[in-house]
Amino acid sequence: MAIVKMKKAHIVALQSEKQSIIKKLHKFGGLHVLNMEEQMAEEKYLELTADSDSEIVNQLEARLSQVKYSLDFISKNAKTKKTAAQSKVQVSEAEYQEYLDSYAKLEGIFNQCREIDYKHAELKNKETKIVNLIQQLEPWQNLKANFQDIKPSRNTVAVLGYVLTKFAEEFKAEYLKTGELAYYEEISSGKENTNILLIFHRDLEEQVTQIQKQYGWSKTGFNELAGTARENIDNLNCEITALKRDREALGDKAQQLLDHKSYLEILQDILTIERDKAGIVSNFGKTEKTFVLSGWVPEKYTGQLDEVLKSATQSYVLYLESPAEGEEPPVMLQNPAFAQPAEFVTEQYSLPHPSGVDPNIIMTPFYVAFFGMMVSDAVYGIILSVLTGAALLIMKPQGGLKKILGLLFLGGISTFLWGAAFGGWLGGFILPFDAWLFDPLKEPFMMLGLCLALGVLHLYVGIGIQAYKNIRAGNIMDAIYDQGFWYALLTGLMLLILPATAVVGKYLAIIGAAGMVLFAGRDKKNIVMRLMSGVLSLYNVTGFLGDVLSYLRLFALGLATGVIGTVVNSMSSMMGGTVIGYILMTFFMILGHTFNMAINVLGAYVHSSRLQYVEFFGKFYDGDGRPFNPFRIRTKHIQE
Amino acid sequence: MTEFMNTYGGLVLAFLGSAISVGFAGWGSVIGVGMTGVAASGVVTEDPGKFGKTLLLQALPGTQGIYGLLIGFLIWQKIGVFGNLADLTLQQGWLILFAAIPMGLVGFVSAVYQGRAAAAGCNIVAKRPEELAKGMVFAAMVETYAVLALLASFLMLAGIRV
Repeated sequence: MAIVKMKKAHIVALQSEKQSIIKKLHKFGGLHVLNMEEQMAEEKYLELTADSDSEIVNQLEARLSQVKYSLDFISKNAKTKKTAAQSKVQVSEAEYQEYLDSYAKLEGIFNQCREIDYKHAELKNKETKIVNLIQQLEPWQNLKANFQDIKPSRNTVAVLGYVLTKFAEEFKAEYLKTGELAYYEEISSGKENTNILLIFHRDLEEQVTQIQKQYGWSKTGFNELAGTARENIDNLNCEITALKRDREALGDKAQQLLDHKSYLEILQDILTIERDKAGIVSNFGKTEKTFVLSGWVPEKYTGQLDEVLKSATQSYVLYLESPAEGEEPPVMLQNPAFAQPAEFVTEQYSLPHPSGVDPNIIMTPFYVAFFGMMVSDAVYGIILSVLTGAALLIMKPQGGLKKILGLLFLGGISTFLWGAAFGGWLGGFILPFDAWLFDPLKEPFMMLGLCLALGVLHLYVGIGIQAYKNIRAGNIMDAIYDQGFWYALLTGLMLLILPATAVVGKYLAIIGAAGMVLFAGRDKKNIVMRLMSGVLSLYNVTGFLGDVLSYLRLFALGLATGVIGTVVNSMSSMMGGTVIGYILMTFFMILGHTFNMAINVLGAYVHSSRLQYVEFFGKFYDGDGRPFNPFRIRTKHIQE
Repeated sequence: MTEFMNTYGGLVLAFLGSAISVGFAGWGSVIGVGMTGVAASGVVTEDPGKFGKTLLLQALPGTQGIYGLLIGFLIWQKIGVFGNLADLTLQQGWLILFAAIPMGLVGFVSAVYQGRAAAAGCNIVAKRPEELAKGMVFAAMVETYAVLALLASFLMLAGIRV
């Protein structure tokens, strides 16, 4: 239940010391800087104008885009050996400055990348052109004459061209009718076109043109080429080989650039740091000699903030204030280690409102218990916990991944416990122990009862948190009217079912119902309207019933795991008997159980989340919190 | 005819029931998973890195097919397909047939609509990959009814004595 308390900090200091202060604040990393532009529009801030270092930002952005281009180029064109996750590099102050000043080196690498890229495109272009030409030449391979010889002479005309194959025969017949002074040679014939060489006497030219028109003759020309088609194709193929060699050479050049990769990566981080430092200034206000900034800082860090400022300068003002009425500070959650994984589930929904409640500590046991019930196989639980636990220890992930793995780790433990409780061991393949509690397949009604009971408990806790919120806000009567009577009614109705408690239940339900009819509509002035809305509020009982029944999914999803596991076992055991059979059986068992585990873990994650979001959060949760996003150093490759 | 029905009718009806459960629920999952796959491929063409996330969404409408098989398997176990076939009366056969219908029917329809929700969830992954969980919850809301149908079929089956 911990939303970290925030203070609003206002800092005034000298322009001349701005850089060193920003640097210290960046390292401190605990101040969520606000943009002052809106405030500066107010009258009392008239002397302030917006501060900005946009020129430096632009310059850094330009360099960053060069770095990014070069890095993209290198990772696309140079083959890298896959290495395990690299550890972050330590960079000293002097080296840091050296990197910043190494503009010429960056320019050199960038230009090399661009040049290779450009040449590469050029070669590619050439190659495409040649390939096209070869395609055009291929039909003429059988032509024995040289292209330069196919040209009109004093008395003859010689042309190359093609007609559609389906008209070729007719064309030939028509053409040859013109007499002996016409020569016809079919060079090749494809599905679509037939390629033809025609030589005829000049006197026939008009006649032939007529026939050509009639049959859709298209002229082909290779005027710029000399030699036969075959010779040309061979030459062009040689050219392509040469181009390929050129491209390979370029590839080698690109490969050499790989040496610069780590330089570029470090430079990228450094430039990003500098860009962030220069960019944050645009949120500040300034006067002639001073600058002003404001932001949110966690209450517990305020002392540290003061010390950070003190270490940077002697002349500054730090003014801290609590959030004003209606002001919404950014939200940062702080939970003990066991509840941190659940933050992932909450964040996926929406961060809690700054005036709301952080549900993670209360939610964790429910989330984990539901997760385990839905998978409910002891062996799967062990596997899941061992795998995620190992990943947590070895990879040491941060942020979201750490929370997900943590969630699965806790879920795995819970899965083991529930699996043992229900006697689920690898779908019944091994049975080291009987079910500690009971077997849901044999006693489905026990299981139904357990699911509903857990559901009621979960929902009651949710209603309880809403009551707590009311009490915290000083509205104790609201808590009694809205949540108290609601508890009484629901509890009463449930007690009515059991004969032993039916009498108590009856009175409790009547008290609850009466209270709700009288007080649920207390904001209405008209007495009739008030009673009406009171009666209508009783309908919420059906909604509650729906919510409770929703927890039956705990049973159904657990059932799915168990029975599918059994199916896998009996299918694969059908193969047993021979040696090969046993090998196949083992193979299919591993395959089947892996699949079953994966699909059910996914289902358990989704449905356990749903029970939190829809049923639990629906009772009390206010979302819409803005995340606390401090001004801090973010690097990928160097140590902060 | 009457004699045939009395001798074999129960078993035939029970088989029909398991076929409805496995067949229809599986059919629905095929449509749903396929639909999501189409949408997911579109997202992956733009950004291959989103394969894992879209695959999660694609798996969601697949569960109905599994639930259907589950009920089918329980029926087969009950009537002894894996060993000696039990002698079923006509009434038992009808009961088993009706027990299978919730799973088959709701499984089919819910898988199709869950597929639509999951395919739309792929849009979320395309534009705001960090909000994947919300898309998954939208799809899971549909699955609720398949889960309830599974439970209904299971409880009905559990009540039939063979």
